[in-house]
Amino acid sequence: MTLKFMRNKVVEVEPRPDGTLAVSWRLTDDLLKAEVELAVEPPELEIVEARARLERFPAQDCQAAAALVGKIEGVSVGPGLRKIVRGLLAGPGGCSVVADAVLECCNAVILHFTRPGIELGEGISDPEEKLAATRAMVQANPRLVRSCIAFQDESPIMKGLEL
Amino acid sequence: MITFSRSQVIGAEFPDRETVRFTGIQEDHIYGMEIAMEVRIRDGQVLKIEGNMKRYTNFVCPQAVPVLQAAVGMCLREQGWDRRVMREIGRKGCEHFAEIVIECGRCLDQAVMARDLAAALQADPHLNQDEYLRNWRKEHAFLGNAL
Repeated sequence: MTLKFMRNKVVEVEPRPDGTLAVSWRLTDDLLKAEVELAVEPPELEIVEARARLERFPAQDCQAAAALVGKIEGVSVGPGLRKIVRGLLAGPGGCSVVADAVLECCNAVILHFTRPGIELGEGISDPEEKLAATRAMVQANPRLVRSCIAFQDESPIMKGLEL
Repeated sequence: MITFSRSQVIGAEFPDRETVRFTGIQEDHIYGMEIAMEVRIRDGQVLKIEGNMKRYTNFVCPQAVPVLQAAVGMCLREQGWDRRVMREIGRKGCEHFAEIVIECGRCLDQAVMARDLAAALQADPHLNQDEYLRNWRKEHAFLGNAL
Protein backbone atom coordinates (compact mmCIF):
# COMPACT_ATOMS: atom_id res chain seq x y z
CA MET A 1 0.00 0.00 0.00
CA THR A 2 1.43 3.39 -0.93
CA LEU A 3 1.83 6.16 1.63
CA LYS A 4 -0.59 9.07 1.36
CA PHE A 5 1.51 11.26 3.62
CA MET A 6 5.15 11.32 4.60
CA ARG A 7 7.08 13.55 7.00
CA ASN A 8 10.87 13.80 7.28
CA LYS A 9 12.41 15.73 10.14
CA VAL A 10 16.05 16.31 11.06
CA VAL A 11 17.67 18.18 13.92
CA GLU A 12 21.44 18.66 14.11
CA VAL A 13 23.87 20.27 16.54
CA GLU A 14 27.18 21.65 15.29
CA PRO A 15 29.67 23.49 17.53
CA ARG A 16 31.02 26.67 15.93
CA PRO A 17 34.60 27.96 16.26
CA ASP A 18 33.38 30.77 18.58
CA GLY A 19 32.06 28.18 21.07
CA THR A 20 28.36 28.61 20.32
CA LEU A 21 26.26 25.67 19.19
CA ALA A 22 24.47 25.97 15.86
CA VAL A 23 21.22 23.99 15.89
CA SER A 24 19.42 23.30 12.64
CA TRP A 25 15.89 21.82 12.54
CA ARG A 26 14.19 20.98 9.25
CA LEU A 27 10.83 19.43 8.45
CA THR A 28 9.39 18.50 5.11
CA ASP A 29 6.15 16.70 4.38
CA ASP A 30 3.39 16.74 1.74
CA LEU A 31 1.97 20.02 3.03
CA LEU A 32 4.69 21.80 4.96
CA LYS A 33 8.33 22.78 4.64
CA ALA A 34 9.78 24.38 7.76
CA GLU A 35 13.18 25.38 9.10
CA VAL A 36 14.29 26.67 12.48
CA GLU A 37 17.85 27.70 13.24
CA LEU A 38 19.15 28.56 16.69
CA ALA A 39 22.51 29.61 18.09
CA VAL A 40 22.99 28.54 21.70
CA GLU A 41 25.75 29.97 23.85
CA PRO A 42 27.37 27.88 26.63
CA PRO A 43 27.75 27.76 29.58
CA GLU A 44 24.31 29.29 30.30
CA LEU A 45 22.93 27.72 27.11
CA GLU A 46 21.30 30.99 26.20
CA ILE A 47 19.53 31.14 22.84
CA VAL A 48 21.30 34.11 21.25
CA GLU A 49 19.90 33.81 17.70
CA ALA A 50 16.66 32.32 16.39
CA ARG A 51 15.31 32.16 12.87
CA ALA A 52 12.33 30.35 11.34
CA ARG A 53 10.90 29.89 7.88
CA LEU A 54 7.70 28.05 6.91
CA GLU A 55 6.67 27.34 3.33
CA ARG A 56 4.20 25.30 1.27
CA PHE A 57 0.86 25.39 3.15
CA PRO A 58 1.47 26.54 6.74
CA ALA A 59 -1.60 27.09 8.94
CA GLN A 60 -2.81 30.68 9.22
CA ASP A 61 -1.37 31.09 12.74
CA CYS A 62 2.09 30.05 11.53
CA GLN A 63 2.39 32.58 8.73
CA ALA A 64 4.03 35.08 11.08
CA ALA A 65 6.43 32.47 12.50
CA ALA A 66 9.55 34.22 11.20
CA ALA A 67 8.77 37.32 13.27
CA LEU A 68 7.48 35.33 16.24
CA VAL A 69 10.55 33.15 16.83
CA GLY A 70 12.75 36.12 17.82
CA LYS A 71 10.83 36.22 21.13
CA ILE A 72 12.89 33.30 22.43
CA GLU A 73 16.24 35.09 22.05
CA GLY A 74 17.59 35.50 25.58
CA VAL A 75 15.87 32.37 26.91
CA SER A 76 18.18 29.68 28.36
CA VAL A 77 17.93 25.91 27.96
CA GLY A 78 17.10 24.79 31.50
CA PRO A 79 14.29 24.26 34.03
CA GLY A 80 10.91 25.68 32.99
CA LEU A 81 11.90 25.89 29.33
CA ARG A 82 8.81 24.06 28.06
CA LYS A 83 6.46 26.49 29.80
CA ILE A 84 8.44 29.56 28.69
CA VAL A 85 8.63 28.48 25.03
CA ARG A 86 4.96 27.52 24.89
CA GLY A 87 4.05 30.83 26.55
CA LEU A 88 6.06 32.85 24.01
CA LEU A 89 5.43 30.91 20.81
CA ALA A 90 2.30 28.76 21.12
CA GLY A 91 -1.28 29.51 22.21
CA PRO A 92 -3.63 32.00 20.52
CA GLY A 93 -1.82 33.84 17.71
CA GLY A 94 1.20 31.56 18.14
CA CYS A 95 2.55 28.69 16.09
CA SER A 96 2.78 25.27 17.73
CA VAL A 97 5.01 23.97 14.90
CA VAL A 98 7.71 26.52 15.75
CA ALA A 99 7.26 26.09 19.52
CA ASP A 100 7.72 22.31 19.17
CA ALA A 101 10.69 22.84 16.84
CA VAL A 102 12.44 25.08 19.37
CA LEU A 103 11.88 22.52 22.14
CA GLU A 104 13.26 19.77 19.91
CA CYS A 105 16.32 21.93 19.15
CA CYS A 106 16.89 22.42 22.90
CA ASN A 107 16.51 18.69 23.52
CA ALA A 108 19.14 18.06 20.84
CA VAL A 109 21.52 20.43 22.67
CA ILE A 110 21.05 18.39 25.86
CA LEU A 111 21.70 15.15 23.93
CA HIS A 112 24.83 16.72 22.40
CA PHE A 113 26.17 17.00 25.97
CA THR A 114 24.84 13.55 26.95
CA ARG A 115 26.43 11.60 24.10
CA PRO A 116 30.08 11.62 25.32
CA GLY A 117 29.10 10.17 28.72
CA ILE A 118 27.15 7.36 27.07
CA GLU A 119 30.09 6.62 24.77
CA LEU A 120 32.41 6.43 27.80
CA GLY A 121 30.05 3.88 29.40
CA GLU A 122 30.21 1.73 26.27
CA GLY A 123 33.89 1.12 26.96
CA ILE A 124 33.05 -0.69 30.20
CA SER A 125 32.57 -4.44 29.72
CA ASP A 126 32.11 -5.66 33.32
CA PRO A 127 28.31 -5.63 34.08
CA GLU A 128 28.82 -4.55 37.72
CA GLU A 129 31.09 -1.69 36.71
CA LYS A 130 28.62 -0.71 34.00
CA LEU A 131 25.78 -0.65 36.54
CA ALA A 132 27.89 1.44 38.93
CA ALA A 133 28.66 3.90 36.13
CA THR A 134 24.93 4.18 35.26
CA ARG A 135 24.10 4.79 38.93
CA ALA A 136 26.79 7.47 39.13
CA MET A 137 25.31 9.13 36.04
CA VAL A 138 21.83 9.22 37.67
CA GLN A 139 23.28 10.68 40.85
CA ALA A 140 25.01 13.38 38.82
CA ASN A 141 21.84 14.12 36.79
CA PRO A 142 18.85 14.20 39.17
CA ARG A 143 16.55 15.22 36.28
CA LEU A 144 16.79 11.58 35.12
CA VAL A 145 15.13 10.24 38.28
CA ARG A 146 11.69 8.82 37.37
CA SER A 147 12.06 10.18 33.82
CA CYS A 148 11.58 6.72 32.27
CA ILE A 149 11.22 3.04 33.17
CA ALA A 150 14.98 2.64 33.70
CA PHE A 151 15.00 5.29 36.44
CA GLN A 152 11.73 4.52 38.23
CA ASP A 153 12.04 3.57 41.91
CA GLU A 154 11.54 -0.16 41.23
CA SER A 155 14.22 -0.36 38.52
CA PRO A 156 17.30 -2.45 39.38
CA ILE A 157 19.41 0.58 38.44
CA MET A 158 17.82 2.61 41.24
CA LYS A 159 18.26 -0.07 43.91
CA GLY A 160 20.25 1.34 46.81
CA LEU A 161 20.08 4.89 45.48
CA GLU A 162 18.04 7.15 47.68
CA LEU A 163 17.01 9.74 45.14
CA MET B 1 31.37 18.58 12.55
CA ILE B 2 27.90 17.52 13.64
CA THR B 3 27.98 16.25 17.22
CA PHE B 4 24.37 15.19 17.53
CA SER B 5 21.82 14.39 14.86
CA ARG B 6 18.30 12.97 15.01
CA SER B 7 15.99 11.99 12.17
CA GLN B 8 12.32 11.17 12.38
CA VAL B 9 10.39 9.68 9.48
CA ILE B 10 6.62 9.27 9.68
CA GLY B 11 4.58 7.53 7.00
CA ALA B 12 0.79 7.31 6.81
CA GLU B 13 -1.31 4.85 4.85
CA PHE B 14 -5.07 4.40 4.86
CA PRO B 15 -6.19 0.75 5.04
CA ASP B 16 -9.82 2.02 4.94
CA ARG B 17 -11.73 5.34 5.10
CA GLU B 18 -11.89 5.20 8.89
CA THR B 19 -8.34 4.25 9.79
CA VAL B 20 -4.84 5.63 9.37
CA ARG B 21 -1.83 3.38 9.85
CA PHE B 22 1.37 5.15 10.89
CA THR B 23 4.92 3.94 10.82
CA GLY B 24 7.38 6.07 12.72
CA ILE B 25 11.14 5.77 12.86
CA GLN B 26 13.48 7.75 15.08
CA GLU B 27 17.23 7.39 14.68
CA ASP B 28 19.86 9.49 16.38
CA HIS B 29 23.46 9.14 17.52
CA ILE B 30 22.26 7.48 20.75
CA TYR B 31 18.87 5.81 20.22
CA GLY B 32 17.04 3.88 17.48
CA MET B 33 13.32 3.10 17.78
CA GLU B 34 10.32 2.26 15.59
CA ILE B 35 6.58 2.41 16.13
CA ALA B 36 3.66 1.07 14.06
CA MET B 37 0.23 2.23 15.13
CA GLU B 38 -3.34 2.40 13.86
CA VAL B 39 -5.61 5.33 14.69
CA ARG B 40 -9.33 5.83 14.12
CA ILE B 41 -9.68 9.04 12.13
CA ARG B 42 -13.05 10.12 13.51
CA ASP B 43 -11.95 10.56 17.13
CA GLY B 44 -8.18 10.01 17.01
CA GLN B 45 -8.35 6.90 19.16
CA VAL B 46 -5.30 4.63 19.08
CA LEU B 47 -6.52 1.17 18.04
CA LYS B 48 -3.30 -0.80 17.89
CA ILE B 49 0.40 -0.18 18.57
CA GLU B 50 3.67 -2.04 18.29
CA GLY B 51 7.20 -0.91 18.99
CA ASN B 52 10.70 -2.03 18.28
CA MET B 53 13.64 -0.82 20.29
CA LYS B 54 16.76 -1.16 18.17
CA ARG B 55 19.35 0.91 20.02
CA TYR B 56 19.18 1.99 23.66
CA THR B 57 21.44 2.81 26.59
CA ASN B 58 20.84 0.27 29.37
CA PHE B 59 19.47 -3.21 30.10
CA VAL B 60 16.17 -1.94 31.58
CA CYS B 61 15.10 0.00 28.44
CA PRO B 62 13.48 -2.98 26.60
CA GLN B 63 10.98 -3.30 29.48
CA ALA B 64 9.37 -0.19 27.97
CA VAL B 65 8.08 -2.16 24.96
CA PRO B 66 4.99 -3.63 26.72
CA VAL B 67 4.27 -0.22 28.33
CA LEU B 68 3.38 1.00 24.82
CA GLN B 69 0.05 -0.84 25.09
CA ALA B 70 -1.08 1.92 27.47
CA ALA B 71 -1.54 4.02 24.32
CA VAL B 72 -4.39 1.82 23.06
CA GLY B 73 -7.63 3.71 23.72
CA MET B 74 -5.94 7.10 24.07
CA CYS B 75 -7.47 9.88 22.01
CA LEU B 76 -4.98 11.92 20.01
CA ARG B 77 -7.41 14.81 19.81
CA GLU B 78 -8.29 15.39 23.44
CA GLN B 79 -6.88 18.41 25.26
CA GLY B 80 -3.35 17.68 26.50
CA TRP B 81 -3.05 14.38 24.59
CA ASP B 82 0.67 14.88 24.00
CA ARG B 83 1.37 15.46 27.69
CA ARG B 84 -0.61 12.31 28.48
CA VAL B 85 1.45 10.29 25.98
CA MET B 86 4.67 11.62 27.53
CA ARG B 87 3.43 10.77 31.03
CA GLU B 88 2.02 7.29 30.33
CA ILE B 89 4.38 6.07 27.59
CA GLY B 90 7.41 8.29 28.21
CA ARG B 91 7.86 8.43 31.96
CA LYS B 92 6.46 4.98 32.70
CA GLY B 93 8.21 3.51 29.66
CA CYS B 94 10.52 5.24 27.18
CA GLU B 95 10.45 8.93 26.26
CA HIS B 96 11.79 8.17 22.79
CA PHE B 97 8.85 5.87 22.04
CA ALA B 98 6.62 8.68 23.33
CA GLU B 99 8.32 11.17 20.99
CA ILE B 100 7.47 8.99 17.98
CA VAL B 101 3.85 8.47 19.11
CA ILE B 102 3.51 12.24 19.56
CA GLU B 103 4.90 12.93 16.09
CA CYS B 104 2.44 10.41 14.61
CA GLY B 105 -0.35 12.21 16.49
CA ARG B 106 0.77 15.57 15.09
CA CYS B 107 0.58 14.04 11.62
CA LEU B 108 -2.97 12.69 12.06
CA ASP B 109 -4.97 15.56 10.57
CA GLN B 110 -2.15 16.53 8.20
CA ALA B 111 -2.27 13.03 6.72
CA VAL B 112 -6.06 13.15 6.23
CA MET B 113 -5.75 16.62 4.71
CA ALA B 114 -3.00 15.43 2.32
CA ARG B 115 -5.08 12.38 1.33
CA ASP B 116 -8.11 14.55 0.60
CA LEU B 117 -6.06 17.15 -1.33
CA ALA B 118 -4.49 14.42 -3.47
CA ALA B 119 -7.95 13.01 -4.27
CA ALA B 120 -9.28 16.50 -5.09
CA LEU B 121 -6.29 17.15 -7.37
CA GLN B 122 -6.95 13.90 -9.17
CA ALA B 123 -10.48 15.05 -9.86
CA ASP B 124 -9.37 18.57 -10.82
CA PRO B 125 -5.67 18.99 -11.74
CA HIS B 126 -6.13 22.79 -11.89
CA LEU B 127 -7.48 23.01 -8.35
CA ASN B 128 -6.37 26.02 -6.32
CA GLN B 129 -4.57 24.13 -3.55
CA ASP B 130 -4.33 27.10 -1.15
CA GLU B 131 -8.04 27.71 -1.38
CA TYR B 132 -8.87 24.01 -1.06
CA LEU B 133 -6.80 23.71 2.13
CA ARG B 134 -8.19 26.93 3.58
CA ASN B 135 -11.71 25.54 3.15
CA TRP B 136 -10.68 22.10 4.41
CA ARG B 137 -9.30 23.67 7.59
CA LYS B 138 -12.49 25.69 8.09
CA GLU B 139 -14.71 22.64 7.59
CA HIS B 140 -12.59 20.53 9.93
CA ALA B 141 -11.94 23.13 12.64
CA PHE B 142 -13.88 20.88 15.05
CA LEU B 143 -11.02 18.37 14.92
CA GLY B 144 -9.05 20.56 17.29
CA ASN B 145 -5.49 19.67 16.25
CA ALA B 146 -3.17 22.36 14.87
CA LEU B 147 -4.22 22.40 11.24
